[in-house]
Amino acid sequence: MAHALREKAAVSGIGETAYTRGTQKSGLALQLEASLKAIEDAGLKPADIDGVVPYFPGGGIAEDFIANLGLPDLALSLFVPMGGATCVAAIQSAAMAVATGVAKNVLISVGRTGYSGARVSTRLQQFPQFALAAEFEAPIGMFAPAQLYAQGARRHMELYGTTARHFAEVAVTTRQHAILNGNVVMNKPLTVEEHHASRMISDPFRLFDCSLESDGGAAIIISAADRAKDLKKPLVTIMGVAEGHPESPASIAQRPDLLDFGLTKAAKRGYDMAGVGPKDIDVAEIYDCFTFTVLRQLEILGFCKTGEGGPFVMDGRIGLGGALPINTHGGLLSQGHVVGLNHVIELTRQLRREAGKAQVKDAEVGLVTGYGDMGDGSLAILRRAA
Amino acid sequence: MSTAPAPQPERPMSTPTRESQPYWDGMREGKLMLQHCAACGKVRHYPRPVCPHCFSMESEFKAAPLTGTLHTWTVCHHPFNFFFKAQAPYIVALVDMEGGVRINAPLRGVEASQLKIGQPVKLQFEPVTKDVTLPYFAVA
Repeated sequence: MAHALREKAAVSGIGETAYTRGTQKSGLALQLEASLKAIEDAGLKPADIDGVVPYFPGGGIAEDFIANLGLPDLALSLFVPMGGATCVAAIQSAAMAVATGVAKNVLISVGRTGYSGARVSTRLQQFPQFALAAEFEAPIGMFAPAQLYAQGARRHMELYGTTARHFAEVAVTTRQHAILNGNVVMNKPLTVEEHHASRMISDPFRLFDCSLESDGGAAIIISAADRAKDLKKPLVTIMGVAEGHPESPASIAQRPDLLDFGLTKAAKRGYDMAGVGPKDIDVAEIYDCFTFTVLRQLEILGFCKTGEGGPFVMDGRIGLGGALPINTHGGLLSQGHVVGLNHVIELTRQLRREAGKAQVKDAEVGLVTGYGDMGDGSLAILRRAA
Repeated sequence: MSTAPAPQPERPMSTPTRESQPYWDGMREGKLMLQHCAACGKVRHYPRPVCPHCFSMESEFKAAPLTGTLHTWTVCHHPFNFFFKAQAPYIVALVDMEGGVRINAPLRGVEASQLKIGQPVKLQFEPVTKDVTLPYFAVA
């Protein structure tokens, strides 16, 4: 029997600001600007929004949305504190709300001044879920995500022979896609040699293995599928969606398998709900806080076996025209860091066939992941149902 | 023109909790004190109130061996906190301790190119304030 939530909800609206390094706008203003665009894109009015899931910790709370958008009757206000896994996990909560009638149109939004405000990489100790890292690891010199995730990447290299060349392939391919998009922070081509020559941040991560610290806002609207079909844009339904939490969720160091993420659990449930598998996916937007994180998620998602993520990304497989085009917008590595909500927006565009020069031909089913907070994971599988 | 020296960047410092205090007290005495469940005997780290295996809230801290083997490592080049600028690049090793938990700490006296998973290392102690002693590793 099909899962009760399968295709009961849809991504009805998408909106994003310019992605930049440098802005005069606040995180809240960026969030609201993107939200207004998403509402317009859906063919809705602000008064139609009755649920909000702002990014936590971010630029806004429910009160801000009521005050700025004049929301007359907000029925649902949620935070989903899962770091980079937040945005896709929030789709699960929003889908449950619209499928049950608790809310009609739920707005999920992010606004970030990751470049012009407090730098993203230095914020670790302000998050309660990072208290253990702050007590046990920051004093010995480990506190930025680039450092904490580097040890897992190193282990993968030692166990499976994964190399910097594999990492570079992700960075270079993602950059090629960014250039096609246009609304990106990094708009010049990147070569493998330039990747290898970039300065070491935390071995094995070089500068071009790391996602951007950038400014920008993004928003999407989740509506019940039977309502969204009457809205402005081609219907994109949520076939499957799930979040997952790893063992030892607040400490990578103590996790029995460093390379096991919450996505391991989420992927199984997400695929089961959707009723599809890896071979059915036409395009994938994979959370790319680091190049290595993409390789490992491709393994966890079943596109290849554990240890084969490096060879898998080579030979054009993940580029446009390849067997599995990924991060067709430029991702966090080259477009901008809005905690992966830009990945959901891009997947929706692909399935609407609005992706311009980066369009994957005849894209019908796509997958998007989130990853963050030391290994929380989430995924959504979307379908063109128009 | 002021000639006052620039203030030294502050080192991130551990703030022990009610759960973790015995671990930090042990560090000061040159011991690796690990929390064990008083009911089922299983070790757990980092310290926390409840045993996730049998849910007992009773626990005791016991001294564990200082030896372990290398699980993985990173070499930190970019000083995300300016305190560590003078030390960079530095190796941080994640070690499978004989006592059944992992410890993350700097590994000194060896080049990163020499490192191999499974290599034996030994825990050492470095007092950094009156209250806090931090761990580091040396090749065994």
